[in-house]
Formats: sequence, C-alpha cells, structure tokens
Amino acid sequence: MPGLLELQRAFSAQLLSASARLDGESASGFEIYRETATSTLVNALRLSFPAVERLVGAEFFDGAARAFIPNHAPASAYLNDYGGEFADFLFKFSPAAAVPYLADVARLEFTVNRALHAPDRAALSLARLRALDESSLARVCFSVHPSVSLLQLGFPADAIWRAVLDQNDAAMAAIDLGCGPVRLLVGRDAGGVQVRRLDAAAFEFSARLFSGGPLHAAIEPASEVKSQAWLAQHLREGRLVDFQVASAADGATPV
Amino acid sequence: MSGIAHSARNVSPIPAAAGIGLRFPHHDYVVRQHPTVAWFEIHAENYFGGGAPRRTLERIRADYPLAVHGVGLSLGSADGLDPQHLQRLAELVAAIEPGLVSEHLSWSVIGGAYLADLLPLPMTEEALQVVCRHVEQTQAVLRRRILIENPSSYLQFAHSSIPEWEFLGELVRRTGCGLLCDVNNIYVSASNHGWDAQAYLAALPAAAVGEIHLAGHALRVHSDGRSVRIDNHGARVADEVWALYRRALQRFGRQPTLIEWDTDIPAFEVLLDEAAHAAALMPTGPDSDHARAA
Repeated sequence: MPGLLELQRAFSAQLLSASARLDGESASGFEIYRETATSTLVNALRLSFPAVERLVGAEFFDGAARAFIPNHAPASAYLNDYGGEFADFLFKFSPAAAVPYLADVARLEFTVNRALHAPDRAALSLARLRALDESSLARVCFSVHPSVSLLQLGFPADAIWRAVLDQNDAAMAAIDLGCGPVRLLVGRDAGGVQVRRLDAAAFEFSARLFSGGPLHAAIEPASEVKSQAWLAQHLREGRLVDFQVASAADGATPV
Repeated sequence: MSGIAHSARNVSPIPAAAGIGLRFPHHDYVVRQHPTVAWFEIHAENYFGGGAPRRTLERIRADYPLAVHGVGLSLGSADGLDPQHLQRLAELVAAIEPGLVSEHLSWSVIGGAYLADLLPLPMTEEALQVVCRHVEQTQAVLRRRILIENPSSYLQFAHSSIPEWEFLGELVRRTGCGLLCDVNNIYVSASNHGWDAQAYLAALPAAAVGEIHLAGHALRVHSDGRSVRIDNHGARVADEVWALYRRALQRFGRQPTLIEWDTDIPAFEVLLDEAAHAAALMPTGPDSDHARAA
C-alpha cells in the first residue's frame, strides 16, 4: 500500500506528461483528470496570451500550449502568475520559427498580464519627499509599484500586439519589423495597463531608478534636467510607492 | 500592520437562500443591473491580485453577502500547505470579510507543482490525518471555521479503507470544520462508483452542513457501453440532482444553496432561473430532520 506522498508523486508524474498511459480499470478515470488539468492550463495561457493566439491561430496555440505544459507545471493555483517561461519556450519552439517576433509578443503579454493583476499599492505621497532636505533627496532610494516593468525587445512587439488585438490589418502591414529594439515601460494606472515607449536615455535612467539605488546614482550629469522631468512623471503616474534614504555610508534607513 | 485586523461588524452572514457563483463574464452585468440575488460566491484565487477585478469585487461586496470558495489550497497535499497561498487567502478573507469560507476534500499540489484539478485522495487514516492537520492550520490562520466540500471523483484507490462519507464525518469531528454538501458531486460520484447517493446524504453529520452546492454535469458514454458522469459545471442542474437536493433539504433544512456554472457560461438570466428553481424547493420553515432533532 503506497503512502500518500508516494502516491501523489506518482500521480503527478503522469498527470501532465504527454506520453504516460495507465492501464486497467482506473485508466479512463485518470484520463478525465488529465484532460481537465490540461484544458484548465491551456485556457489559462490563452487568457494571458491573446495576441500570441491570434498570431498563430487557435489550433497552433493549443498544440504549443500542450507541448509547453508537461515540463512547466504552474507553481500554484494563482494562475495569473502562470506562463512566465512561455515566451522562452516559443523562442525555441521550431514550429513557430516562421513567426520570429512571436516570443517578443509573448514577453510583452506576460508583462502586461502581470501588470493587470499586480497587487494594489498607493502612490508615494509627495509631501513625504518635500519634507526632505537637498542632501537627503539625493540619497532617496525608491520602491516601484508592483505593476511596473521595463522591457527591451528586439522586435516592435508593442505595435504588433496593438495591431493584432485591434484586428487592424493596415497597422500590422505598416510595421517595420527591422526598426531596431523597442524600450517599453509597462504599468497600471486608474485607466488600466499602459504600455509606453521610452527613448534610450529615459529607459536607462528608469532602470537605474527602479533598481532601488540612490537617486543621485540614477541621474547622469548630461541629462540632469531631463531626469528631473522623468522622475516627476514617474511620481505623477504613481509608479513609485515608497522610499528610504540611504545613509552617507550607503545603508538605507526608513523615513 | 493592520492587514490582518478583523472587524466583525462588516461581515454579512450568508442567508439560507439561493445564491450564484460569480464569474468574470458577469461582473459588468452585476455592477450595472444590480440583479436580485440573495448572495454571491467567488473563487478565491481569481481575486488574489489587485487592479480591476478587486475594485469590482469591492463594489459587489458592498451590495451583496459574499462567500469565498477556495479551489487551490490543496488540503490533501502530503508535503504540506503552500504558505504563500494560505497567506494570500488570509489577506483576501481579511479584506472582504466573507460570510462563509470553504475549500475541498482533495489535493492539487505536490512537489511545488499545481496540477490544475481537484484530485482524489485515497480514503485512508494517513490521508485523514493530513487533511485534518491542514484544515486546523487553515482555520488557525484564517481565525475562523471553514466548510469542506465533498468531491466528485472518477477513480477510487484500491487501498482506500474508509467510506468517503465517514471520512468527512471524522474530519468534522476531529477539526470542528463544517461541511459544504455538493449534491451534484454526491450524485456524480455515486453514479461513477456504484454508491447509494441517498445513503451518502443520510450518513453526513447534518449539524455540520452549512452550505449546499448545485451544478450541472455531463454524461459520457464510452464505446464499450460504460458511462461516466463528469462534473463539468457546464449545464443546468440535472433532474436527478434536483430530486437529491429535495432529500438534502429534508435532512439539512434550509441552507445557503449555490448555483455554479464554469464551462460554457450562459447569460446571467439562466443562472437566475436556476437559483429561482432552488429557492422554490426550499422549505419555508426549519422543518428538517436536523431541526426536529435539535
């Protein structure tokens, strides 16, 4: 008689496996669990990657998802988090090689989905910042809203994503796939998830700012004025939710 | 931190009336039309994040009693509960203060992998001890009693030694949890395994039942003539299940009764119609076996 842990490990090894087959009386019952589990996960991916599905068609998407699932079980029942590795999988998935930008669209969609479902956090109160003196302000280390991400992609996945979801063939046809990398800022505001393009300087500044280092280290002397404007925009849009002031010796202390 | 602080004044108890399982396709309808529904139940995991779903839930919570039904805690996992999942459930429960909280007699997670279905447990003393431990842990973290739902199942383990209804009764006795009696699940499992559905119902500890679930299921007939009933929540409640629900009401008295629909979700009016059917079957007074015995 198998112990519970042994039984659950054996069940798990076969449930999401593409090849395993049970014999005997319980086989058809087991198949029902396998079908339900697989279709639940395919649907979860479909909900998170609607543009990928439109680009390749429902049948192809279903096949790709079923190839992905056996080696990528979700870590929890919170399926809004599921599919973080789907873009890398699609990048290496040879049947999808004819759509070279597919993995970048998947990367964007996962980031958008994460932004959509990220926990709520109130924006940083500007009064708290205004209370700081000049030298403390330079040593401010910000915490970023959990919905905010920066994403650099080789293909213009933002334009493709919008054209596909809007079913706008003219916009799709006008996209220059070779226009070079796009640098994207993804985050959620009261109106929903926003995807914005940044230029290289704003992207690099934001990446340094969001990494949690002190403000003075994020600002390059050559773009100090622009940096102030970028920072003001991040604050206005609620992308920064908290801060600490690093001590002169570089340790951060809560304010 | 005030996140766990609990103020009982905001809890709206779930009435002994017909409620509806709230799903995303009906969010807008419920917010705009404000239909007459006695209460709603949500799947906890759909609201673990923030943003628009939570805003909508807060609006609906302000107008209706709300129950929280977990589908992914995996109370039967031999390697323990996922503390992060339990914490997210606790935060949701603290935030919306539901009238009832329930989970399943099943497992879904092992070795850090979520297997995306409510999987069957062997009915053994070892499994009973695992589930008891996890129900107690959950009740301690949530600081409230939870209801445990009887599963629908498609296979039985040869080494099971405890009938499912006795397993549930023992779980109630050892942990003080309540029961969510899913009448459709009893019908589906009894049909698949050759059990007597009415005897199952009669064997449950009536005083522990705090909620009833109703849903539709599918009948699949194999080429060799064998058939299996599949609990897909994708149809109207079957006539046989309505008949069993009448027996459940006789035994348990008026209970909060939920209409669930998860596959091919229909227009909201269909769910209202099913809820009205359930309401029409409810006795007007507490004339149950349980109430008479009390």
